[in-house]
Amino acid sequence: MLTPTPMTARGEELARMRDDLRRALRKPVEQRRWGMVINVKRCTGCMACVVGCQAENSAPPGVAYRRVAEVESGEYPQVMRLFMPTNCMHCDNPPCLKAAPPGAITKRPDGIVAVDYQKIKGKDVFDKVSKACPYNAFSYDDGRYFTAGTPAVQPYEKASSYEYGRTWKRANGAAPSGAARKCHFCLQRLNAGMLPACVSTCDGGVTYFGDLSDPESLIARVLRVHGSMRMQVGLKTEPRVFYLVDDNQAAESLRACLACHK
Amino acid sequence: MTTERDAEISCPAWYLDRRNFLKAGAFLGGSAALADQLARTMVGAGAAEAQTLAGAGDYPLANPENILYSVCLQCNTGCGIKAKVVNGVCVKTDGNPLDPMNMAPHLPYTSSPFDTATFDAILCPKGQAGIQSVYDPYRIVKVLKRAGKRGSNQWTTIPFDQAVREIVEGGLLFKHVPGEEKRQVAGLRKLWAVRDPAMAKALADDAKAVMAKKLTVAEFKAKHAQNLDLLIDPDHPDFGPKNNQLVFAWGRLKAGRGDLISRFTRAMGTVNAHGHTTVCQGSLYFSGKAMSEQYRNGSWTGGAKFYWQCDLANAEFVIFVGASPFEGNYGPPHRLPKITEGLTSGRLRFAVVDPRFSKTAAKAWRWLPNRPGTEGALALALVRWVIDNQRYDARFLGNANRAAAKADGEPTWSNAAWLVKLDKDGAPGPFLRAKEIGLSDKDLFVVVKDGKPAVVDPYDEQNAVEGDLLVSTELGGIKVKSAMQLLRESASAKTIEEWADLCGVSARDVVDLAVEFTSHGKKAAADIHRGVSQHTNGFYNVLAWYSLNLLIGNFDYKGGMIKATAYNAAGGAQGQPFPLGRLMAGAIAPFGISVIRHDVKYEDTTLFSGYPAKRPWFPLSSDIYQEIVPSMGDAYPYPVKALFLYMGTPIYSLPAGHTNIKILADVNKVPLFVANDIVIGETSMYADYIFPDLSYLERWEFHGSHPSVAPKIQPVRQPVIAPLTETVSVFGEAMPISLEAMLLGIAEKLGLPGFGKDGFGPGQAFSTPDDFYLRMVANVAAGDRPGDAVADAPDEEVRLFLNSRKHLPKTVFDPTRWEKIVGPELWRKAIYVLNRGGRFQDWDKAWDGDKVANKYGTLINMYQEKTSKVKNAMTGKPLAAHAVYVPAPLDALGRPIEDRGYDLNLITFREITQTKSRTAADYWLLQLLPENSILINEIDAKRLGLKDGERVKLVSASNLEGVWDLANGQKKPMAGKLKVIQGIRPGVVGFSLGHGHWAYGSSDVRVDGKVIKGDPRRGMGLHGNAAMRVDPVLGNTCLEDGVGGSAVFYDTRVKLVKV
Repeated sequence: MLTPTPMTARGEELARMRDDLRRALRKPVEQRRWGMVINVKRCTGCMACVVGCQAENSAPPGVAYRRVAEVESGEYPQVMRLFMPTNCMHCDNPPCLKAAPPGAITKRPDGIVAVDYQKIKGKDVFDKVSKACPYNAFSYDDGRYFTAGTPAVQPYEKASSYEYGRTWKRANGAAPSGAARKCHFCLQRLNAGMLPACVSTCDGGVTYFGDLSDPESLIARVLRVHGSMRMQVGLKTEPRVFYLVDDNQAAESLRACLACHK
Repeated sequence: MTTERDAEISCPAWYLDRRNFLKAGAFLGGSAALADQLARTMVGAGAAEAQTLAGAGDYPLANPENILYSVCLQCNTGCGIKAKVVNGVCVKTDGNPLDPMNMAPHLPYTSSPFDTATFDAILCPKGQAGIQSVYDPYRIVKVLKRAGKRGSNQWTTIPFDQAVREIVEGGLLFKHVPGEEKRQVAGLRKLWAVRDPAMAKALADDAKAVMAKKLTVAEFKAKHAQNLDLLIDPDHPDFGPKNNQLVFAWGRLKAGRGDLISRFTRAMGTVNAHGHTTVCQGSLYFSGKAMSEQYRNGSWTGGAKFYWQCDLANAEFVIFVGASPFEGNYGPPHRLPKITEGLTSGRLRFAVVDPRFSKTAAKAWRWLPNRPGTEGALALALVRWVIDNQRYDARFLGNANRAAAKADGEPTWSNAAWLVKLDKDGAPGPFLRAKEIGLSDKDLFVVVKDGKPAVVDPYDEQNAVEGDLLVSTELGGIKVKSAMQLLRESASAKTIEEWADLCGVSARDVVDLAVEFTSHGKKAAADIHRGVSQHTNGFYNVLAWYSLNLLIGNFDYKGGMIKATAYNAAGGAQGQPFPLGRLMAGAIAPFGISVIRHDVKYEDTTLFSGYPAKRPWFPLSSDIYQEIVPSMGDAYPYPVKALFLYMGTPIYSLPAGHTNIKILADVNKVPLFVANDIVIGETSMYADYIFPDLSYLERWEFHGSHPSVAPKIQPVRQPVIAPLTETVSVFGEAMPISLEAMLLGIAEKLGLPGFGKDGFGPGQAFSTPDDFYLRMVANVAAGDRPGDAVADAPDEEVRLFLNSRKHLPKTVFDPTRWEKIVGPELWRKAIYVLNRGGRFQDWDKAWDGDKVANKYGTLINMYQEKTSKVKNAMTGKPLAAHAVYVPAPLDALGRPIEDRGYDLNLITFREITQTKSRTAADYWLLQLLPENSILINEIDAKRLGLKDGERVKLVSASNLEGVWDLANGQKKPMAGKLKVIQGIRPGVVGFSLGHGHWAYGSSDVRVDGKVIKGDPRRGMGLHGNAAMRVDPVLGNTCLEDGVGGSAVFYDTRVKLVKV
């Protein structure tokens, strides 16, 4: 039986991860190894991460970098509901990279798998990279607006967005319209010393983030103390997102998922 | 980075004037200035780090000057937010790390906004989507006047001044509408009938005398012959003056605006200012009131309208009953992380009692899927076990007064040991008085200790009195029982197996819960919410659960039951700079029976004519939302002339809210109907005038706290973006159209006391909203007692304060004016508060050893003498004054409701992604759940031959057609798709609130002759409230809890009809 970490209060965890982040930013970029840990036991399917990410990255209709799957299993009254957050796994061996046009997807030295919005345009490109990805990480930005067709398109939809350290104006088909989009660990926030949006807004305290190569970081500690797994390791994608498996209940619930997912 | 002006949006729309809010922010561009600030905030930062972070020049959301601190209002929790504003547009809101609602432990209050700029805390999905509620294409920005019949969705925009004039002066306001050509509307000038405080007092005193039977009606009429025309009905002086025919009702109102409405209604001299409490937790609040009544000068008084919840940061065992903190409650950012932390650390185990397998139940140790309406029975089962097995805190319960509690280090005590008199039939009544058995001349209570009677002074700090707990005896010929004995007898009415059977749960679970509940000292609690209170037996359900909590004496303890504490904003505490309530001269003290007949006994009025009364009376509750409009419909107790409705939608939010439609559409029942709203909503669509309002990102409020928040707080909502509504002039000052402008405009036209020049006193004008709200900010900054003021903002914070508001127009931000209002001594303190989004006690100060620092700290009533003296106005029966089992549902005459042939019990719930009514515009949220469903257990689906995804209609005995009849020729069926699941009790079906809109931008409206097409995405799914049971006796409102006033959501039986 694994001894659980004394998981601490979320306020402490957020403060600690923010300090970890700043420490990592003091290192040269190639010495940082960004990673994410998801503790499904704490996930209640609140969807704050999904919407927080969308707000942070000005996601138009149909674009969601973070998904939370929900499944009910069992038979009344022995019922189970499981919530499973996923996003891009920032694989060390990303199949999307090979499927994309040359240079459209790159693996950064800090581990983030980045897309170039200019080079990754087109529905056909999206279809290719999306099919290559075993984790359903990509969304297609088809250029729509939520408030199109209503009396007026709203200012937040026409406002600039900030991804990959740049400012984007999506109007009139400009990038990232037409692009295959996905999680980038909120690189714009990292560079400002801020945790990814999904991590800070999470109500359950589910997601941990940090520099895997720093043994002092909370994320490294969590992974030392807890058992963890990654999705579909048989495919040799080498994901950077880890899921904690701590006890029988967690294993059972992951089994519930595996009934449908390979 | 480049300074940009975002593109002008090129589609003009009559109701969305871009000019107001597309201002170029004069915020800092240029990476040098930004890097400067960032370098300074990184304590001990090296050059490399500063350089890296300087790259954040491309990320303006981290710039402190682009962040304003305010308070969310996507639900009533009111979590702190950091509003990130770029070029005058709020593009994101994140949680405020200074606010304990957004993370625990939260950052120290002295933290610098330059540091908190890069620290985002927790926020739920609704909060994250909040900008979509604000930038809603269907928001109105000009005043609308109806161009056709009520509810016809035809409007004209009219100037603000014209609207104010028409409402004040009245006249042939709707001669353009067929059928209303000759209808004279009485304006507010006419309704402001009694204006002289002395005259009002004379009338009020004598009306009181009539009620007390010290004066006859004839004598009254003779004495006040000159002024009888100012009364609603001279034959009923207790109705009060014609002023009372103005009714002001509200939905989601918080302090600040609440204080303003209070000032307005006081100035107008009406008693009719009513909120929505009974549609929320109703009986939960009013049982809290009854349990907190204190004995002063011979009467029970001062009961607070509040309730307790569990301190989840420290609890070890919790029973959540009819409560889902993972989906609603107050609120996910605050309660959810404490639960999940407790789960993963091993600190916390919890059980959930709910007919539905909620997200909270999904993490629970045990799920008890009870029959709706049996919540009280389940509590009594637990009470029974605890008493039978003597697992209660005898020491706590034996303390009969303050001194005894003090001696044990207990912050609270109860009247568990006090003796209650029984009448000749053995029914409990008032407490025994020491006088009655010759123990004392003083007005004191009695306990029995080791067989001997002893006198109880509840508040004596010197002489500790303890009493035996289970007492049934006779003293001086009077039969008495202790309160705890009465509780035991309630609980012993059935065996545990019988209770469990009634509830539809297993006795084994009941016992296991009881064992666990009594195995954690005071770090255990029963935490209850609407699932318990919104039944016809709500009041007694609630009492039973709080009695269970009393048995372990967990009040004011870490991990136990705690209450909300907030810094005083209205200035009522001693030494505060602006006691707003007192800074008002010349208004009458409103008097008379309210239109919802609250806070008064039927028997004490001139309307008393035996039982049943025409409608229920509510001596123990207030804000009875489901009685406001229906009482107008019946003109009982009297007809009403004008209804003002602020941020409320009773038609949509009430159970059986459809009953309100016909009445609101009837110009004879409600001659004038004015609404404040940000869109044309399901209720405001029936108004005569809609004044557009400011959204939560454009206005002021003081949000207060919630029951389970341990630190003392006062979150301050302030304008973070320029107003979207049109600018108008009131008292010579430019301001956006809003609730404030409307009230000030009316006050100006009428010359109401307490407004305008000298509104707060000689030379102290109340001419702008700032005059009111900055005074309240100053009160918060000064604190609740001398020496409690916050620090002065240092120079850099003052600069930040000014620079971050450069995009705000003078109409909502004028630092010179603000400083003048607040005064030089408090100005930097006000800035300190506003730079942090309010005032928040530090985490370590919220605790006091094994207790909380902010205590309830006084007597809790296990038995309620005040309640025992009230009779149900429909049945004439005295109310039970302690936790007893009452079956549900009962109608207004106390008769069971059968509804044969309707075999499915309908409940509602909330998804965390929707509020009850105002998230219809949030497309990110709609994307997650485009339409809701009717949840049904597979067993029922099979039995009824229904399939997953099939479309069905909800039908009930009081809505055979299963439709919303909108009284405008349209009928909207309550039809939706079925979701067949395992996670709901067989026999129960449910739907989530927030979908099924028919207004709120979902359908076409006509304004100034042009059609504004609705967005059908907002109208998907179903809203089943119109299926909820109409009370068969009253005929025009939902089922009610006759004691606590709750509007009943969960006691309806329905049928599903294939469509």
